[in-house]
Amino acid sequence: MFLRAFLPLLLLLGYGVAQAALFGDSETREQLEALRTKVLEMEARMQRTEEVFMGQSLIELHSQAEALKEEMGKLRGQIEVLEDENRSLRKRQKDFYLDLDNRLRQIEPGSASVSVPDAGISIPASELPAADIKNTTPLKTPVILQLPDTAQRNRYDAAYALFKDGDYSGSIASFESFLSQHPQSALAPAAAYWIGNAHYAMRNFDKAISAQQRLIETYPDSPKIPDGLLNMASSQVEIGQKAAARKTLENLIANHPGTEAAEKAKRRLGSLK
Amino acid sequence: MVIHMRNFLYCTGVFLLLWMNTPLQAALNIEIFGGGANRVPIAIAPFNGERGLPQNISAIISADLERSGIFKLVDPLGLTSQEPVSYVDWLGRGASALVIGSASMLPDGRVDIQFRLLDVAKQVQLTGFSGAVTTEQLRAFAHRIADIVYEALTNEPGVFSTRIAFVRKQGSRYALQVSDYDGFNARSLIEYTEPIISPAWSPDASKVAYTSFEKKKPVVYVQALATRERKVVANFKGSNSAPTWSPDGNKLAVVLTLHGGSQIYLINADGSGLQRISQSPGIDTEPNFSPDGKWLIFTSDRGGSPQIYRMPVSGGAAERLTFEGDYNVSPRYSSDGKRFVYIHRNSGRFSVAVQDLSTRQMQLLTDSSFDESPSFSPNNRMVLYTTEVSGRGILSIVSSDGQTRSRFSQEAGDIREAVWGPLLKQR
Amino acid sequence: MKKIFAVLAISLLSACASDNAQQTSDVEDHSYNRGGEGEGMRSGAGSDGFGMNPLQDPNNILSRRSVYFDFDSYTVKGEYRDLVLAHASYLRDNLNAQVLLQGNTDERGSREYNLALGQRRANSVKDILLLSGARDQQVEAVSLGEEKPRALGNDESSWTENRRTDILYQGEY
Repeated sequence: MFLRAFLPLLLLLGYGVAQAALFGDSETREQLEALRTKVLEMEARMQRTEEVFMGQSLIELHSQAEALKEEMGKLRGQIEVLEDENRSLRKRQKDFYLDLDNRLRQIEPGSASVSVPDAGISIPASELPAADIKNTTPLKTPVILQLPDTAQRNRYDAAYALFKDGDYSGSIASFESFLSQHPQSALAPAAAYWIGNAHYAMRNFDKAISAQQRLIETYPDSPKIPDGLLNMASSQVEIGQKAAARKTLENLIANHPGTEAAEKAKRRLGSLK
Repeated sequence: MVIHMRNFLYCTGVFLLLWMNTPLQAALNIEIFGGGANRVPIAIAPFNGERGLPQNISAIISADLERSGIFKLVDPLGLTSQEPVSYVDWLGRGASALVIGSASMLPDGRVDIQFRLLDVAKQVQLTGFSGAVTTEQLRAFAHRIADIVYEALTNEPGVFSTRIAFVRKQGSRYALQVSDYDGFNARSLIEYTEPIISPAWSPDASKVAYTSFEKKKPVVYVQALATRERKVVANFKGSNSAPTWSPDGNKLAVVLTLHGGSQIYLINADGSGLQRISQSPGIDTEPNFSPDGKWLIFTSDRGGSPQIYRMPVSGGAAERLTFEGDYNVSPRYSSDGKRFVYIHRNSGRFSVAVQDLSTRQMQLLTDSSFDESPSFSPNNRMVLYTTEVSGRGILSIVSSDGQTRSRFSQEAGDIREAVWGPLLKQR
Repeated sequence: MKKIFAVLAISLLSACASDNAQQTSDVEDHSYNRGGEGEGMRSGAGSDGFGMNPLQDPNNILSRRSVYFDFDSYTVKGEYRDLVLAHASYLRDNLNAQVLLQGNTDERGSREYNLALGQRRANSVKDILLLSGARDQQVEAVSLGEEKPRALGNDESSWTENRRTDILYQGEY
């Protein structure tokens, strides 16, 4: 493009020289001829340059680059999705492993004798597999929960809907009947929790406490435990058992670190003076 | 809030007669559980003498509390604010908390309003309040009462006296407006015949940044609410848009096209010190600062479809946050930085969704067809957005658990680009 | 050195011919647009009274100013190549001329994201202009996103109408 800007000047030059030629000097005339040829040459070169542009090769190249960019974006997106799937698969695998490990521990005779100590038979620690030694803290037999079927879920949802509508006694009755019929359902711990919560909402704090107590004893591994403890502490505060509430909150903070309930417990503990 | 109240005092001589001494332990201890499960049954009795007033105070308080998603309104079924309070009857209606009050005209034309918040089971007063306001200030005063009730019962800040900004299109005119959180008392900050988009509140609520097309291209302005003085912050070659403030109010993130595609830049609030933040071959737009100022979440199509990403403000790799569907846009942080709200497209519908940053759990809050521009209330209990109803946008609020939704359909024109303003901290 | 000498020579010689300087401008513009009309092209837009401004002449390709795009596409289709190339050629020959490219979208959804998509449509026209010899200072690519739809209908033909980039010359916006 520089050439292009230059062209007028060159033409100007030619024009000026032509004028000069009027004064007549053969040497000047020769130089003039040479210049004219040069100008023509340059014009031809420019024409070619232009043709390259107009031939659109650059534009083609550019649109190919754009298409490649788009393609790369799609590939990048696929990689991102695969990475995410990989991450969640690994997590699920870990969960499966832990679950399986838990179940095996109950079946394996060695560990069973540790987790359910029997006064009649004693096995020297040395005979136990090394891996199981750390398991000497008494394990409560975990309840193996089953995934709820649609009927169970519907019943649970109905009981929960009653709670949301403020029909607490209706909700308690529904959850209790759910709990007695499906104690092994994966929804059972939540049902137990909401019973306590509904009692709390009705300001029946003693009942709220015993309901949460039941949750903790029946489903010690449930993720509902922290919320249950929090609710229990609130109930204890309401009936004036501040020391017990403090203990409950401390237990919650110590055993369920990182949960939202534990965070709330910390704040509440601060104001429980 | 202090500023707000002080204005009251200066303008109209409100007397705060008695802030009832309210020991904290007397408060109803309300557990706020997720899922909108444990909604507190509260009754708002009609205020004595409010019939003749231009504003129905108890109705405003009721609407405020209900919208928060935390309260369940109990129908008074004929009971009034009459004292002595018949606690047994209120208990029979299922109310745990009760608001009663009265309004009476003063000789100077102002209205004297008193209210009391009562714990129905314990039969004690939790808080009370009284003041005199002009009739124009009745709405604001009712919102203030709702805030006091909310704060007394939840120990969280109430947001019913905060403001929102949005763009109202009427015919060929565009107005950038600021109103009460429920869309009332809207006032134009600027009106123009060219579009305005992307209003953004400064953290101290004194200014709004926005994108205007009055120069036949998008240019970013900052305008002061009090003086209406405005200035250009970003008018670079190409498009200038999507302003958002850093939490300290010193900087703005903006989207410029200086190097081709839309990319995110940082710029000082006075328009100096431009600095490029994002580096991608695709589109990076709609930046939003984390409350600690360390992160930006934004929309990018670097992976072939618009998705939400997060990157450190100091620069560095961006991490993709959304994986459901092929269209996730307009992210905004909650004020605790734990969640963000955004627009998710699913089979042609654009709905409001929220995602937890640590668990990556996403939840749809709405199921409407065309929702836009969601933003959290300052206490994160509600989300403001616009939704399209028969061809025009209207303001809507959904509680953060998706359980309670309300629409403000009284406004004229087409409402878009709504954004919730900050809560003014007590000084 | 050669160049400097050449420039000196030119200025000397042109000084001799100063009375003819006016006419050189006609020569300067001769390569403009094979169509022929050579007058007044230095001023960019606006007619100079000598016949029709090619930018406004309905028979001239330069009067066409809109480039339409396919749904979800940002590349200039083959059928609009000649149009864009004609504008590139005009800009090359009229260094004072400047254009504003306004990209538009028909898409629903986020206004800011659509603004970025409109920008992409403006940029792809800009890229071709620059690759064909227009200068960077002559071209500004901006986006109007979904904010200024030309067609307001809710049907396929309106949407098609709104997926476009407009070429506006200085003085036209």
